[in-house]
Amino acid sequence: MADPILKIRDLSTSFFTEEGKVNAVDSVTFDVEDGEIFGIVGESGSGKSVTALSVIDLIDSPGRVTGGEVWYRNADLAEEFRGSRPEAVDGDFVDVRRLPKGVRRSLRGPSFSMIFQDAMSSFNPSITVGEQIAEAVEVQRRARANPRRTRSRTQGYGLGSAILDTFLPNRDYVSNESMDRAVELLDQVGIPDPEDRAEEYPHQFSGGMLQRAMIAQALAGEPDILVADEPTTALDVTIQAQILNLLRDLQEQEGMSILMITHNLGVIARMCDRVGVMYAGEIVERGPLGDIFENPVHPYTQGLLGSVPDIDDPSDRLEPITGNVPSLLESEMPDACYFADRCPKAMTDCMTRIPEYDLDGRHSVRCVLAEREYDEADALEQEVMADD
Amino acid sequence: MTDPLLSVRDLQKYYYEQDTFVDTLLGRERQSVKAVDGISFDIEPGETLGLVGESGCGKSTTGETLLRLREATGGAVEFDGENVFEMGSDELKAFRKDAQIVFQDPFSSLDPRMTIGDIIAEPLRIHDMPTDPGDKSKREWRRDKASELLERVGLSATQLDRYPHEFSGGQRQRIGVARALALEPEFIVLDEPVSALDVSVQAQVLNLLDDLQTELGLTYLFIAHDLSVVRHICDRVAVMYLGNIVELGPTDELFESPKHPYTEALLESVPRPSTREQGRRVDALSGDVPSPRNPPSGCRFRTRCPKVIPPDDLDIDQEAYRAVMDLRDALVVGDVNPDHIWETADPERVDEEAFIEEARARHVDAELRGDVASVVDTALGHLVDGDVEQTQTVLRETFESPCETRRPGVGDTTHPAACHLYEGSDEVEVIETTADAPVSADD
Ligand SMILES: Nc1ncnc2c1ncn2[C@@H]1O[C@H](COP(=O)(O)OP(=O)(O)O)[C@@H](O)[C@H]1O
Ligand code: SF4
Ligand code: SF4
Ligand SMILES: [Mg+2]
Repeated sequence: MADPILKIRDLSTSFFTEEGKVNAVDSVTFDVEDGEIFGIVGESGSGKSVTALSVIDLIDSPGRVTGGEVWYRNADLAEEFRGSRPEAVDGDFVDVRRLPKGVRRSLRGPSFSMIFQDAMSSFNPSITVGEQIAEAVEVQRRARANPRRTRSRTQGYGLGSAILDTFLPNRDYVSNESMDRAVELLDQVGIPDPEDRAEEYPHQFSGGMLQRAMIAQALAGEPDILVADEPTTALDVTIQAQILNLLRDLQEQEGMSILMITHNLGVIARMCDRVGVMYAGEIVERGPLGDIFENPVHPYTQGLLGSVPDIDDPSDRLEPITGNVPSLLESEMPDACYFADRCPKAMTDCMTRIPEYDLDGRHSVRCVLAEREYDEADALEQEVMADD
Repeated sequence: MTDPLLSVRDLQKYYYEQDTFVDTLLGRERQSVKAVDGISFDIEPGETLGLVGESGCGKSTTGETLLRLREATGGAVEFDGENVFEMGSDELKAFRKDAQIVFQDPFSSLDPRMTIGDIIAEPLRIHDMPTDPGDKSKREWRRDKASELLERVGLSATQLDRYPHEFSGGQRQRIGVARALALEPEFIVLDEPVSALDVSVQAQVLNLLDDLQTELGLTYLFIAHDLSVVRHICDRVAVMYLGNIVELGPTDELFESPKHPYTEALLESVPRPSTREQGRRVDALSGDVPSPRNPPSGCRFRTRCPKVIPPDDLDIDQEAYRAVMDLRDALVVGDVNPDHIWETADPERVDEEAFIEEARARHVDAELRGDVASVVDTALGHLVDGDVEQTQTVLRETFESPCETRRPGVGDTTHPAACHLYEGSDEVEVIETTADAPVSADD
């Protein structure tokens, strides 16, 4: 198999808040293969979004990526830095975290791009949709023409209102070609009458249409990797189906890879080749879709799958996981498997930090059951309390 | 069959916009949003009726209007044989005990300044319950009752004096349920009660609702957009689209043999958490739901329906027909702009053939053949001089569908579907012939 496009190794991110240190992402490791859709699934607060933002280097204060590597396959960059920063280069890969800040920023757009759940807040309400997309095109155009100069203007383009709103593009900055390209992109993502739609403002778009426009904006830089954080969560199911079809088509046409983040196991199943399951900041199980859905080893993965009502077979009573998602405050995190307090198979062995076990080179899991059978004699005593 | 506990007939709820005094002064025409437009259903004692549909289709308005939390525009609701909209204050008070509601948002539906105990006991206080507290004070009685309810929904009575912010989403939703149970109702409207919850917690709350129903003999109207949840918990299901019920039937039957094309599309769209789902490509419905300010004539679903019915005398395959209807809808919403077509086809505006070809490429999403192709080309020819109206007229003459001229009714069977494809829906009100009423797509 070809090398992956992205290798994430032991990535950790914490937020330093008034209550203390919150370990939102804890030693996360996964690959994204060339042209695949890799899914990350988990419940709210499990660290999915922070993982995405950490990968594309968008963590802001009070958060900080505290460790780990983000290896990105890019022969040109590897060549450029082999001499000056050998520690940041490994074959054709560069560790994005060890590249100079300016270079890191310049990767947003042509290397990494991102779409979000809430399209409305990633557009500036007072600028037409076409101009905002054209701006993204323009930035890439100029960056390509003059790789070092325009970088500062590319900062975070298309990556959220917080950054976008800090500079208002004006007409002078957007060339006609960029505007034409914006219309083309709108057409490519299935917006009818793109010439007129380009002149409209975000509030004139429906939810589904704005989601398409955001995808168009993310495509402006022809990214290698598209990070999609809950891209269909706010949409109705028939519109969700449209957007999922669109993402798959674009992925095939453009040959990009997608890191797909969602809480919806059905979306994962439809879209992804491989998947990582997150719980309390960790990827607790990871592997090909079939392995995860049909032979899950981690009791959390099993519990998650058992909690979803089956639309095609209503007979079973749901088997929820008892209790709630834990706090990620470092001071409250146990020196044990983070799932131990809710796990029906918790044993005395689980009262230590659990490493990631590799099952067969493709499927890995953070659970002692990878190595041993459950034995009631070793069971931990648990107070089982509903939802508490 | 027993008498229904709740019986809804032709319920209508319109909201009005531009309805202020100033609007009247300025001569603005008051605009109605037909949120619920004539729906009927019964709920039997002890059953759970699901109400599903996409956001904005009128589910919550239905729930709130039938509880008389909003004033109905038309129709009638009977609860236990009594007309809810004509109840006097005493009857209404009794109704407000018997029929409760639980809202979706566990974060905004509980008053943050009240303790959990007070929140749960509040309905009792409002109704000045109990009438006879025995040897306790009323306050003590209510507190004990709140403890009991808290434990009943799976929380601990020791949490009585805590505040909502100290609880998770799932716990708050349990608190909402406890409050709804305080007056020992017969009927509860559950408005998206688990939509805001994570799946593992959602499953806990669903099991709880199930248990409570069995133990207390409750009747539910379960409003949701998640079809998997609905399949799991409901006895019968009503599917709503743009203010109408389009299909209603026993759950298994509706999920296994859906009748209405909209129900079929909904079920087809849902992503299944199973390996069989991998790479499945859904024939997604095209377009957005039209605005309820200006719903399409005839069948509300016709602008997106893959089975929209061609006129009898027209020989056309379904895909081509849908494509032509999409072109017609695009003309109505103003998505066809002759200037742009010219710009691409021939900026000099001479080559009419190139124009028509470009118009087809842009706006007709199927291969057309024979007469159909020539009618469409003739129609597009009128766009050459920007005559959108004539284009529409030509298309309408050949392609007008019974689905746009006649509104399908819901037949009176055990599994009705409001669609001309089903005999059950033959009683048809004749609606205005369409002057291509605008079907604004997304505002
Ligand atoms: N800006 C922030 N400040 C403090 N904590 C944060 C911030 N953003 C996220 N977190 C915390 O990080 C954890 C993971 O959050 P997130 O990645 O958003 O989860 P998910 O996307 O899986 O719902 C949560 O405990 C969340 O509260
Ligand atoms: S390590 Fe132990 S507690 Fe953790 S998931 Fe596995 S069995 Fe359960
Ligand atoms: S009446 Fe016509 S448009 Fe409406 S659902 Fe049936 S076939 Fe489709
Ligand atoms: Mg998130």
